[in-house]
Amino acid sequence: MTAPFLVARNIAKRFGALTALANVDLEVRSGEVLALLGDNGAGKSTFIKILAGAHPPSEGEIIIEGSPVAFSSPKDAAASGIATIFQELALSENLSIAENVFLGRELKRSILGIPFLKRREMRQRVDGLLQELDAHISDPEAPVGSLSGGQRQAVAICRALNLNAKLVIMDEPTAALAVAETRKVLALTRRLAARGCAVVLISHNISEVFEVADRIVVFRRGRKVAERLAAETNHEEVVSLITGAHPDVRALEKTN
Amino acid sequence: MNTVRRSGNGIFSMNGREWSLLVACLLAITIFSVASPHYATSGNAVTVLRNSVELLLIGLGMTLLLAMGGIDVSIGIVMGLAAIAIGRILGADGSPFLAIVAGPMAGAVLGCVTAAVVVLGRVPAIVGTLGLLGVYRTAVFVLLGGQWLSGLPSSLTDLLSTTVLGIPVAAFAIAVAYLAVWLALRRTPYGLHLLAIGNSEEKARLSGIPVVKIRFATFVISGVLTGIAATFYVATYRNVEMTIGSTLALDAIAAVILGGTSILGGRCSLIGTVLGVLLLRILQNGLLLIGIPSLWQPVVTGVLILGVLGFEAVSNRLPLARFQRARA
Ligand SMILES: Nc1ncnc2c1ncn2[C@@H]1O[C@H](COP(=O)(O)OP(=O)(O)OP(=O)(O)O)[C@@H](O)[C@H]1O
Ligand SMILES: [Mg+2]
Repeated sequence: MTAPFLVARNIAKRFGALTALANVDLEVRSGEVLALLGDNGAGKSTFIKILAGAHPPSEGEIIIEGSPVAFSSPKDAAASGIATIFQELALSENLSIAENVFLGRELKRSILGIPFLKRREMRQRVDGLLQELDAHISDPEAPVGSLSGGQRQAVAICRALNLNAKLVIMDEPTAALAVAETRKVLALTRRLAARGCAVVLISHNISEVFEVADRIVVFRRGRKVAERLAAETNHEEVVSLITGAHPDVRALEKTN
Repeated sequence: MNTVRRSGNGIFSMNGREWSLLVACLLAITIFSVASPHYATSGNAVTVLRNSVELLLIGLGMTLLLAMGGIDVSIGIVMGLAAIAIGRILGADGSPFLAIVAGPMAGAVLGCVTAAVVVLGRVPAIVGTLGLLGVYRTAVFVLLGGQWLSGLPSSLTDLLSTTVLGIPVAAFAIAVAYLAVWLALRRTPYGLHLLAIGNSEEKARLSGIPVVKIRFATFVISGVLTGIAATFYVATYRNVEMTIGSTLALDAIAAVILGGTSILGGRCSLIGTVLGVLLLRILQNGLLLIGIPSLWQPVVTGVLILGVLGFEAVSNRLPLARFQRARA
């Protein structure tokens, strides 16, 4: 087995008196879809925000391709090849699709030292990406605020693709989507992994997870309580791990 | 979500709001012409335009600030402080070229101070600039020692209150400032970042935008524009009085939101600001000429602000807007 793309060691995160995460060890491999499961408030979003550079961890370290990193902003994480599609999407509703896809890393040409946007090139690249995603958007110049949930998700995924990310993190990408749009996003998740990307997917939908994930990690009350290969577990076991009814989880929670 | 509407990217892109303002300006001019025999003269037209110079320059900066979700209520008094710097240089028989440089320089320094308080100090812009307003008022009083700076030499006036090829120097300055701000806003990454921050600072941060840098720069840009305004002010009036700039911030905010810039950030219109400034100055001048005391001017401004905000609140609740939001 190849070395993991990313290793998280002993990660903890505290918000004041609240411990949102403690002792999390996790490996993320290229070409693999890793699903994070867990109840509301289990710490999934907090964990991926640490990977994304949006929160500094209170403890622990992150190692990418063998070397430790310390992200002080999402820009640092992006520079290391990590693209994150946040639960709240982080799109600017007042900007167009192309502007959103390139926001923070625009294509520009320098005239007299002033960086001017290359609007046409950005637009062409985005049109190509949207086509690749099979996303139909009637007016690509419309502000993202006027798009449907699925279309917005497609824009967010375009952003990740455009970064040529080595790790794409998606926080509940299908939560707000209709059936057809969900199918498209799931297919896309597999396609990213097939391209050699590592994918971390957060979802509350267990059947969806079994459809796309290679590995499943369960969080509970800020701790990682289980890790399973998707092929070696089943729906019932995963549910009992999430709810804490599983003997392994009970044993773990007793020792703590 | 009230950011669904999007202003055009062209240099003079006009939407419904901008056209309405243009119509309102023409309507006001027509009514005042009928009401007062002194109104429709070329001398009065020049007066109105002359009275608009400072507000146009300051309004451009205020447009950027509001689009970013910021505001600066101390901007009038900032112009006052810059004017004092210019006045002192002229009063000491300094070179008028030095005075021309001093205005924007003083503006830039004061912009840095505002940015340090609001951006680095993480104080809400309205509160931070209100605090600075109090401090600067006192500073103006102390610097002027209770007296006007008056009878300043005409060297600056000779340079700036003239025409080149028949066009006033101030008009050139405004055109250059407008072009520069428009380019920055619509043609460079800075503008996109500013609008993204105005939409949501947190989302902008998550998108990898250098939020602190952009916000800091915008307060400095606004300061520089205000400093240029101060230069034209001193060139025109050749004095600096105690109450300098006391209604400018209110006027600038009114003109900018009249122009269609969202008070909540994320959306703005530069041409709207220009038309907003003109409408405001046309109304103030016209009301004066038909015999309403200037005491009432802030009332007009205030009513315009409340009118626009009220109109926007209501139209956001109309069925069409609700439909658009549901789609969004
Ligand atoms: N910025 C913050 N400040 C304070 N507390 C926070 C912050 N972000 C998250 N938390 C808390 O940390 C805990 C974990 O939240 P998190 O959002 O990571 O859960 P989650 O597993 O993503 O849940 P969900 O499935 O509902 O999205 C919660 O108790 C939450 O209230
Ligand atoms: Mg979450």
